[in-house]
Amino acid sequence: MKLCKDTKKDLLKLAQEKNIHLEGNILKIIDIEGEDSDFVDYIKTATEKDKSSRKRRLEITKQIQSQNKELTTAAEERENLMLNIKNAFDESEKSKQLIEEKNKELTEWKDENERISEELRNALNEAENAKKEAIKAKETAEYDLNILQKKKETELISNIVKVALMLIVGAGIATTALYITALLTGKDTYIIGPAWSNTLSILITNAFSIIGTIVGVKYATGKNKF
Amino acid sequence: MNDMIDSILLVDDESLFHLVFEDACSLLDISLTLECINSADEAGTKFSEWHKNPKGRPVCVFVDLNIIGSTFDGIELIRRINFEYGNHVVIGIISSSNEATEQAKALQAGAQFWIIKNDDIEPRLEEFKKDYPSYVNRTANFKIYR
Repeated sequence: MKLCKDTKKDLLKLAQEKNIHLEGNILKIIDIEGEDSDFVDYIKTATEKDKSSRKRRLEITKQIQSQNKELTTAAEERENLMLNIKNAFDESEKSKQLIEEKNKELTEWKDENERISEELRNALNEAENAKKEAIKAKETAEYDLNILQKKKETELISNIVKVALMLIVGAGIATTALYITALLTGKDTYIIGPAWSNTLSILITNAFSIIGTIVGVKYATGKNKF
Repeated sequence: MNDMIDSILLVDDESLFHLVFEDACSLLDISLTLECINSADEAGTKFSEWHKNPKGRPVCVFVDLNIIGSTFDGIELIRRINFEYGNHVVIGIISSSNEATEQAKALQAGAQFWIIKNDDIEPRLEEFKKDYPSYVNRTANFKIYR
């Protein structure tokens, strides 16, 4: 592209007075072949300035880009960190819940154990009571058996005594009847008389002995009842 | 001036990279005309229109791989440009990614090059500028600028 004389003059004036130059790709399409040295220098200067400013902008843009990348990386790391913290928190919450559940189970087990212990204690007490009652029943049974045995013994002794008394009374009556018969019929009483006397004395002695025995047995039986 | 690319389109969601790319292209005398847009959808619409009327269509397109805010990625945009909107441009990926699987996908979609974007983009663009004629006449193989 070729510029007209006035345009070139204006551009040079602008550069001299205000240091303003053309910039951008337009510089690449301006044809400077055959132009005067002032304009060629102007285009070279403008191109240098443009390249310099582009380089500067490129460096700054790259720096910003790099910083952006670092910020993005930091943000991602922070996000990951937050995610990790959240996961750790969730894990701790789960662990807490698990511990609470285990504690609840343990409490239930403890309650169950206490209940079973209480039941065992009650069962033990009941067993002890049953044992005591059994011992008491045994003692009662033994006592009753003893009493029964005593009663039987007493009955037996009583029967023996009755039979003995009946025999004594019978022997006494028989001897006396013989002696009276002998007296009434005038028979000889030389033998029967002393025999009757001896027999009667023996019978009386035995009768008192038996009566004493009965009284003693009755006394003993009555004392055992208390 | 003769070896400069007539017009370039950059499709990238990162506005700061637009400035970097523009300044780098200007300093390296790569192109006089550069348009930057930040959406694959917008680029697709433009190419759809250029398919009917090619006036204003760029001759070289640089596409970012992941264009945030777009309904499809850079590889899909390249596929559409190549297979739906005619194949009249030199086109490739400019991305910070260096994944072989993505590069294979891009090649399949018709990408001619893959420029790895980093802080020092100028040497890669300079190398690309040298290779550009071979992309225009389709003699160059798919190349990755590391």
